[in-house]
Amino acid sequence: MLKVKGVSAGYNGTKVLHDISFELERGETLAVIGPNGCGKTTLLRAAANLIPFEGEVLVDGRDVRGLSRRQTAEKIAMLFQSTSINFEYTVYETVMMGRYARMARAFFPRVAEADKEAALTALDAVHMSALRDSGLGTLSGGQLQRVFLAKTLAQQPDIIMLDEPANHLDLSYQVELAGLLRDWAAGKGLTIIGVMHDINLAMHFSEKFLVLKEGRVEVLGPAGAALGGERLKSVYGMDVAGYMRETLRKWENIG
Amino acid sequence: MAVKFKFVIMAACCIAALILAVAVGSVFIPPDQVFGVLAGKLFGFGTGPRPDPIAESIIWSLRLPRALLAFITGAGLAVSGVIMQSVLGNPLASAYTLGVSSGAAVGASLVIALGLSFFGMFTLPVFGLAFGLATVFLAVSFASMMDKNIGSFTIILTGMAFSLFANGIITLMHAFARQELQLLVAWQMGSFALKDWSHPAIMFPAALAVLAVAMVFAWDMDLMTFGEEQAAATGVDLKRAKLVLISAGAVITGVAVSLTGVIGFIDLFTPHVARKLFGARHKLVVPASALLGGCFMLLCDLLARVAAAPLEIPVGAVTSIFGAPFFIYLYFSRKTGRPFKRKRGL
Repeated sequence: MLKVKGVSAGYNGTKVLHDISFELERGETLAVIGPNGCGKTTLLRAAANLIPFEGEVLVDGRDVRGLSRRQTAEKIAMLFQSTSINFEYTVYETVMMGRYARMARAFFPRVAEADKEAALTALDAVHMSALRDSGLGTLSGGQLQRVFLAKTLAQQPDIIMLDEPANHLDLSYQVELAGLLRDWAAGKGLTIIGVMHDINLAMHFSEKFLVLKEGRVEVLGPAGAALGGERLKSVYGMDVAGYMRETLRKWENIG
Repeated sequence: MAVKFKFVIMAACCIAALILAVAVGSVFIPPDQVFGVLAGKLFGFGTGPRPDPIAESIIWSLRLPRALLAFITGAGLAVSGVIMQSVLGNPLASAYTLGVSSGAAVGASLVIALGLSFFGMFTLPVFGLAFGLATVFLAVSFASMMDKNIGSFTIILTGMAFSLFANGIITLMHAFARQELQLLVAWQMGSFALKDWSHPAIMFPAALAVLAVAMVFAWDMDLMTFGEEQAAATGVDLKRAKLVLISAGAVITGVAVSLTGVIGFIDLFTPHVARKLFGARHKLVVPASALLGGCFMLLCDLLARVAAAPLEIPVGAVTSIFGAPFFIYLYFSRKTGRPFKRKRGL
């Protein structure tokens, strides 16, 4: 489904990512973790062909650079860490924009029944149907996050790339989101890559991990290999597992 | 209120404003006579008594071409404002941000200061347009050299730098051509005075073309307001959309500036009024802005003609005097649909 082969990328002549390779099959999830500035977001941008890169990204065997923007958008959807909102679109209008690449066209895109259905289903999946006519300016950070997640879903891609999808979400919705993402991967055969800071949440979301350190792959593999031993200590410069265990002990004391 | 009903009301207001603009002036011509002349000229039959030939001449040769030029210019500038605000992701952007007016003013200053007359009465507009477009072209080319993706901030910054540079040249020319200063200032203030049918005939196809481009790219513009990466990841061919839209916005503004001088504010605030009435979707904002911009310009020009008659006020001054406070009210009013800036996430 998705093959990333020897991808290197950067900004203004400075390389941020070095020789990243991995493969994902249909229905697989991948959690990308690593400290700030290790190149997680850059990896998503390169894989979605949003920035120039060296190496190869193949989607269903086709080089992503050979696809038009619309073809790419039919294959890959991306949820960004932040979005500028300059004008007061409604929730429904925003989610409908996710259909842009798939809309029928006669001079300009036209909304068909299938587009309406996809937008409503996506809104339903993130529990935002009740607020479909609300303006984006009236929503909380978490609600906005869900609207843009719905826009990504409405795009009906094969691959979803999520940059910090749990931003602004309360704990219960974070957990629900991790479950939803797993279900979408297993049930709908979506390939999902999630860049996550919260390692606990990442563990709920995926069993496969890509740990980045200074733009290079530190580990690629199951949770045991990626998170165990001294691995995270060298990546984050702290005893991550020890910190987690201490937190757990505090919870046990709280009872 | 249903969208269609709002558009019908707006169209009716535009027609009423057009008739008012033709009827009112140093000589008042009753609306029934205006109808009579228009019906006679357009459809070959008159209504009511045969109109006075002087009134007919005032309507057909002076006021109607002027009113139509004002309407079409207002509509074109408003659509150009919609385009620039969405493409540059900045609710305060306009084609003037890219240096169209400063560049055009350099061209006009050259014509006035050197007394050039290569194209007769059209020498000034031709030079204005050529210099206005050349400035935008240079600014955008320079921006694309600096930043391959032609980022909005790069365009805005280079546009501003080129504008300042052009203003420097104008100041220099002012210093060297003091006698012609008056003419140049008058041109820069903008006016629809003494315009015949050739002016709306040039403006109309340009405005129609920019309107068509904006409608075709309405969804692209919707997506571009959320930022360039969002738009690209959703399927927008950014480079193509930006080049086509910016060119269209720059051409219509260049043509308008060169025919009528610099008339500010219409392009900046009309799109915000349209968004207030119809929401943010460009499919509605584009046609609504065209009607509102046209209507507003017509009324401003009417005011410019009659407020201090027999003197005429520059229409650019009227649009700014009425536009600025209205814009501030609109921007800071707390009703829904107000333009706002917000960031999701970091």
